[in-house]
Amino acid sequence: MSTSLLIAVFLPLAGAALIWVLAEAGREFARRAALAVSLITLALVAGIVRQFDPAAPAGVDWSWFSSEPIDIRFSLALDGLSLWFFGLSALLTVTCVLVSWEAIDDRAPAFYSLLLLLETGLLGVFTARDIILFYVFFEFTLIPLFFLIGIWGSEDRRYAAIKFFLFTLGGSLLTFLGLVAIVLWNRYYVEPHVMTFSIETLQRNLSEHPISFYPQLLLFLALFAGFAIKVPLFPLHTWLPLAHTQAPTAGSVILAGVLLKIGGYGFLRFNLPMLPEATAACIPWLLWLSVAGIVYGALLALAQTNIKKLIAYSSVSHLGFCMLGTFALNKPSLYGGVLQMINHGLSTGGLFAIVGMIYERYHTREIADLGGLARRLPLLATFMALFTMSSIGLPGMNGFAGEFLILLGMFQRGYAEAPLVYAGQWLAIAVLAVSGVVLGAWYMLWLFERVFFHRLREPVHHEGPPIRDMSPREVLALAPLLVFVFWIGLFPQHFLAPMEKDLDQVLAVTVPPFNQRFQEIKERPVAETDVAAGDVEKASEREAVRPAAPVPDRDMNSVLPARGEVARVE
Amino acid sequence: MSNDTVYRLLPEAILIVVAALIYVVGAFFQARRVWAWVAVAALGLSAVALFMQSAGGNVTIGDDGPAPATTQVTSAGTLALDAGGRIDALGQYVRWLSLVVGLVLVLQSSRPDEDVQEPEMIGTLVLAVSGAMLAATTRDLVLLFLGIELISIPTYVLLYLGRRDAASPEAAAKYFFLSILSSALTLYGFSFLYGIGGSTDLAAVKSALASQPDDPTGLTSLAVIALVLLFAGIGFKITAVPFHFYAPDVYQATTNGNAGVLAVLPKIAGFVVLVRIVAAAMPGMENYGWRIVLVIAVLTMTLGNVLGLWQDNIRRLLAYSSIAHSGYMLIGLAVGLAAAAGGSQAATFDGIGALFFYLAVYALATAGTFAALTYLGGQGKQVDTVDELAGLARSNPLTAVFLAVFLFSLMGIPPLAGFWGKFGIFGSALNFDEGGLADPQVRNWFLILAVIGVLNATIAAGYYLRVIAAIYFRPAQSTPQSAGGNGAAFAAGLCALLVVLVGLVPTPLVGQSSEAGVALHSKESATVQRAANDRTVDDKLVTADATPAG
Repeated sequence: MSTSLLIAVFLPLAGAALIWVLAEAGREFARRAALAVSLITLALVAGIVRQFDPAAPAGVDWSWFSSEPIDIRFSLALDGLSLWFFGLSALLTVTCVLVSWEAIDDRAPAFYSLLLLLETGLLGVFTARDIILFYVFFEFTLIPLFFLIGIWGSEDRRYAAIKFFLFTLGGSLLTFLGLVAIVLWNRYYVEPHVMTFSIETLQRNLSEHPISFYPQLLLFLALFAGFAIKVPLFPLHTWLPLAHTQAPTAGSVILAGVLLKIGGYGFLRFNLPMLPEATAACIPWLLWLSVAGIVYGALLALAQTNIKKLIAYSSVSHLGFCMLGTFALNKPSLYGGVLQMINHGLSTGGLFAIVGMIYERYHTREIADLGGLARRLPLLATFMALFTMSSIGLPGMNGFAGEFLILLGMFQRGYAEAPLVYAGQWLAIAVLAVSGVVLGAWYMLWLFERVFFHRLREPVHHEGPPIRDMSPREVLALAPLLVFVFWIGLFPQHFLAPMEKDLDQVLAVTVPPFNQRFQEIKERPVAETDVAAGDVEKASEREAVRPAAPVPDRDMNSVLPARGEVARVE
Repeated sequence: MSNDTVYRLLPEAILIVVAALIYVVGAFFQARRVWAWVAVAALGLSAVALFMQSAGGNVTIGDDGPAPATTQVTSAGTLALDAGGRIDALGQYVRWLSLVVGLVLVLQSSRPDEDVQEPEMIGTLVLAVSGAMLAATTRDLVLLFLGIELISIPTYVLLYLGRRDAASPEAAAKYFFLSILSSALTLYGFSFLYGIGGSTDLAAVKSALASQPDDPTGLTSLAVIALVLLFAGIGFKITAVPFHFYAPDVYQATTNGNAGVLAVLPKIAGFVVLVRIVAAAMPGMENYGWRIVLVIAVLTMTLGNVLGLWQDNIRRLLAYSSIAHSGYMLIGLAVGLAAAAGGSQAATFDGIGALFFYLAVYALATAGTFAALTYLGGQGKQVDTVDELAGLARSNPLTAVFLAVFLFSLMGIPPLAGFWGKFGIFGSALNFDEGGLADPQVRNWFLILAVIGVLNATIAAGYYLRVIAAIYFRPAQSTPQSAGGNGAAFAAGLCALLVVLVGLVPTPLVGQSSEAGVALHSKESATVQRAANDRTVDDKLVTADATPAG
């Protein structure tokens, strides 16, 4: 399995090189080769995901950069956290190749090789087990997407590409400092004082010997800069709608589908388990930022006149949900948050692909130009309806599973788990988040109604082929996404179960400091709280799955659903 | 003993002899491309000599025994030697770097404009390369100055030879006068060092300073003056703010090829001289030194990057970029000095090693960029503005890829070489603390420095991206001639290959550069008795020497 992992990550790179070298062979060869490579990669990835065993993750581990005392390793492996992101990257790349089939005419070989390059970058980000290797892939993904947006985008593409690049680079350089600082902290302050870049070792060491509070807070902010821009969290989102609207269809699909998830993945991989005290301290802020994103994104989506922009703002809103789930820090919400990231990749990826298909036919993305398309394009309308439902969280589809878990977790925080001082705040956040769901249904259904119902209204198109419904190629591009939309919606436990071990580990590390912090406020003078909190940490180390908590009765851990209960909740 | 000296300086000697030959014979035989090949052959020969030195080494002193170096050092004259009697790792590293860069510069000049006198141009280039190499090998003030001037004086000639328009003589004159001024300042600084040590040997300066620590009325006061004068003089060579302001004007007014020379060779020599004197030969001065360097570093990178944002002329833009990169490299120096002030050896090497790694990475990417631009020019017309590069991705896709590689590397995007440069520099600034050894206040300064550094890297990305966006996203306005010759194209390709290779397999170059940093402090064991600390350093050095440099 370790070999197939390596091949899966680097096969797209080889394909990209091949297509680039044989650029003379033209578009036909390039797109076929890209499809073949991405399909083989998908098959490999599917095999890896099927065989995945959370207990024994396999991978490669070679020395890469070694100069005493630095030893950066080329180490790749999958775990429960990255499993589905890994699969999603491979799946969406195939969709991207298919939706670009006709749309990309100009310099097609370059386009497909960049797309495959991006796939290698993404697969690498999610498998990297070395902190610097992670960063290398993380940063590397900027280059192909920069070119994809800048060369094949719409009118304002140059500005969008540069803004996208600068925003993400600015944040991620601070993240870089933070990552290096974490390594150095581990070297100097944690026995046995070695310089290791292994994410796993760092995570273990830092949860056993936490970084002292203020440095931890600084590190949190440094990492936050990069990941929050990537997600994007509320005030840092301004690059996203621009990049989305200007990017070519494939760029939007992969950007919304996978690239934004790197931010959330980064929080789960680094901030939460390595900097739990700082995370706990920042939680109220983070929750408010997330919910601000939810509401703000939804309101802006309502006001858009351009389909693609509308979906871009809906992304801001949905990613707010994902982050809300991540930061609410209890079992249902965290599971829901991660699941929702996958869901968003599927449904928004599908929606962007459909917008691209509409654009290919009518050369417009303005809502006002279109109407009644359901008559003309019934199949496309069906797909659009399904993805819309998935996006607004209709029960039985994936969006529901994610959003429900997130909101359940958030309300649980507000009702049962919070000390009184915080209960109101957290309930308010939960209620506002629910309003985001309502607004989401509003703008999505309204969009659907305006574009697909009413009298048929099409812009005049002068030349080009007559308007036809979806071709088999287009169906093939979207059908696999729909399969997963229903699969996740109906059997979420299939997807939650492999993540369980690793997510619970994150919770086991992150929840105790959180409890401690907010419990202390609740019953400050009681000395036994500290003792109890200490017990929690020890207990959680022994039993990573479920942090048993001998803390007084209203402690939140006692209200956590037990193992497997998440699925039953469904 | 003088035979030994000649043997050790053989690589430089070869270049100087060949340069002289080119000058003399070239007056009679102006064959265009032949001289470039002669120069390439000379560089190759020099490389062979260098390789033999680093592989063999003629003076064998027992590697295990305590280095009886006092006699060794005086008898070998004034070269910077390691315990084994060879040119030390720092010297070897910079010599190899200069040779590679020299190869690129000679290749890119293999087909200049018609009205340029070819043999003289090639000869002066070879001389300048030998100057950079000489500056790296020596520990003597006179030879150091000779090395610097061996770069400066050929550069004046190059600037005049470059092209025939009104701006060119102006630029040459500007560079000439300022360079003279900086040389004078450097010399004045050297004279104070001579006064301190009573000898032109830096080892004497060092032992004199080390014997009188913290005496504000005595030698220390002289040393402070020397330090400031040195920063002013060498600051000109490395375009450190506030001695940077000539660079944009001069680069803009000259050819792309000459700008490449200016952006690379003086910096290599400048940094090696600065490090040899300030970091290795002025004990007790580090506390003054790192403060000055830190302020200069912040100013240099910020000013370079911010002003770079508004440039339309490509050489002016790259001039500001080269200013900014000096700022990053000065971070490494500041870390090295501050760590030495705090008595921490490890970070010293880390900072200085990172500086020299960055220097190589910067030199490759910058020389490559100018080589690619030279290639894009042609007879009498060269690429001047960013706009002229628009649409290059279509008209000349391979050169476009080269330029993109260089610019992304200068930006510091992985997996290119520039990323590891930034990793080393910012890592050394963060590593400075060494787990609480350092004064917390000093540590905070370096944390802030690292943050300013990465913010600067973001600003820098702004103008590099503008160039890349022009190349890839904009329709062509005018097609460049692409008539700069195959040599220039090959030089650019070579640099691009190296940038990618170093990015993917950074270990060898990092190993060499950190040895170079270590080497700096090994000599003291030979001259000054600081027994306990340096034993470990010596051990490291012995093992390091087992592997050939380069």
